[in-house]
Amino acid sequence: MSLVEGGIPTPPEKVIFKIKRFDPEKQEFYWKEYEIETFRGMTVLDALLKIKEEQDSSLAFRYSCRMGVCGSCGMVINGMPRLACQTQVGAIATEGNPVVTVEPLYNYPPIRDLFTDFTSFFEKHKSVKPYLIRKDPQETETGDAEFAMTPEEYEDIYQFSLCISCGVCYAACPVAAMDPLYLGPQALAYAWRYVSDVRDEGYEERLKIIDTEHGCHRCHFAASCSAVCPKVVDPAMAIQKLRSTLYKKKLGAWKKKTSKKVGPYHYEGPSRAKKVPQLTEALLPGVDLEAKIKEPVNIDIELK
Amino acid sequence: MSGGTLKKNLPGLLQASLNPWLVRIKDHPERLAFILHRVTGVIIILYLMAHVYVTNTPTRAGWEAWTQVMAQFGNNIWNKIGEWIIAGCVIFHGLNGIRLLLVEFFGIGVGRPVHPKPPYRPVSLYAGQRLMLLIVFGLAVIGWVWAGLIIFG
Repeated sequence: MSLVEGGIPTPPEKVIFKIKRFDPEKQEFYWKEYEIETFRGMTVLDALLKIKEEQDSSLAFRYSCRMGVCGSCGMVINGMPRLACQTQVGAIATEGNPVVTVEPLYNYPPIRDLFTDFTSFFEKHKSVKPYLIRKDPQETETGDAEFAMTPEEYEDIYQFSLCISCGVCYAACPVAAMDPLYLGPQALAYAWRYVSDVRDEGYEERLKIIDTEHGCHRCHFAASCSAVCPKVVDPAMAIQKLRSTLYKKKLGAWKKKTSKKVGPYHYEGPSRAKKVPQLTEALLPGVDLEAKIKEPVNIDIELK
Repeated sequence: MSGGTLKKNLPGLLQASLNPWLVRIKDHPERLAFILHRVTGVIIILYLMAHVYVTNTPTRAGWEAWTQVMAQFGNNIWNKIGEWIIAGCVIFHGLNGIRLLLVEFFGIGVGRPVHPKPPYRPVSLYAGQRLMLLIVFGLAVIGWVWAGLIIFG
């Protein structure tokens, strides 16, 4: 968690940033120190941008939205993987120890400085089929109503759908550190989000992908993914739920939760498309609609 | 694992298997439990191998050698300390193993998905498994002290 309870103190006037940088030509890491002036409310990302502007333009890091939405700026800050844009300098640097260490995310191949290679991360994300699968693919195209859910069914998946794919959980995961093929907390949380979705019908094939040596059975519940997640997605819970679901399914004790209201073909309530009547008569009395349509449009515009 | 992959993963490997404090996360005993579980597991495996080797002394060297070995072990303070460490490892590993079985196989103690609200604490970190973990830590300490009283007393 990157949020701090209560007020965040003003950071010390000058803070030393120790940054672990990667030289792609020599293929080695080196540490560099920068001293910068801070302001109240400064985030670590602000500080990195300030260093890039004023001191060292060669510093490379990834960022985009600056407000914890895009998930680009995951870094290891003071030993904990978190988002640079959500971490206040005042919350981690004190007068007694005005030092902030910034490292690239663990468990990813480094590219340059704080840049890390997310290729395998997104490959794993894609491999669990993170989208709704319906038996009839035409249904989503030709249906005349939405896929309906009850608020309770929505609540089951909402927490896991908050994931922004920042990759911070992989950096904290001790199992991902040891097994590069491990699907990892993010992909598995996404898998559970779709397996527990009442609208989804592709759970069979999804569970088959997960039920492997490098899938959910590799997790040993260190729960570090949940502890560092900036969006409180709680991947640790999702993985345990996936795993117990798999065991129950093998014993024949698990049944996929489905909604009676699911699917536009089975939906029999009032349809929005039918409710709105087509305009056939003129709304104003004494106006001939057809003649009005044929009339050329005449708007007075004075051109100067 | 090839040499290149190992080199790339080495910081992670060290972080995961040797130094639990390299990743500094506040209020997170689950990771400590994970590391302890792993370390105690390795110690127990090594002990079991040595144990099997020692207990097959009669078939290797006859019953006289066995009595000799047993006499040697009985009065050795280092042997007692070793036994005490093994006892602690087995107690913790066993108790934490029960907790992990409940959590991982039956999904007990990880809570239900909720709508995240301030102060944004993940449910699985304060649900039943955290209580189980604290009980495991407590019982392991008590058990270890008790084992010490039996071994040294």
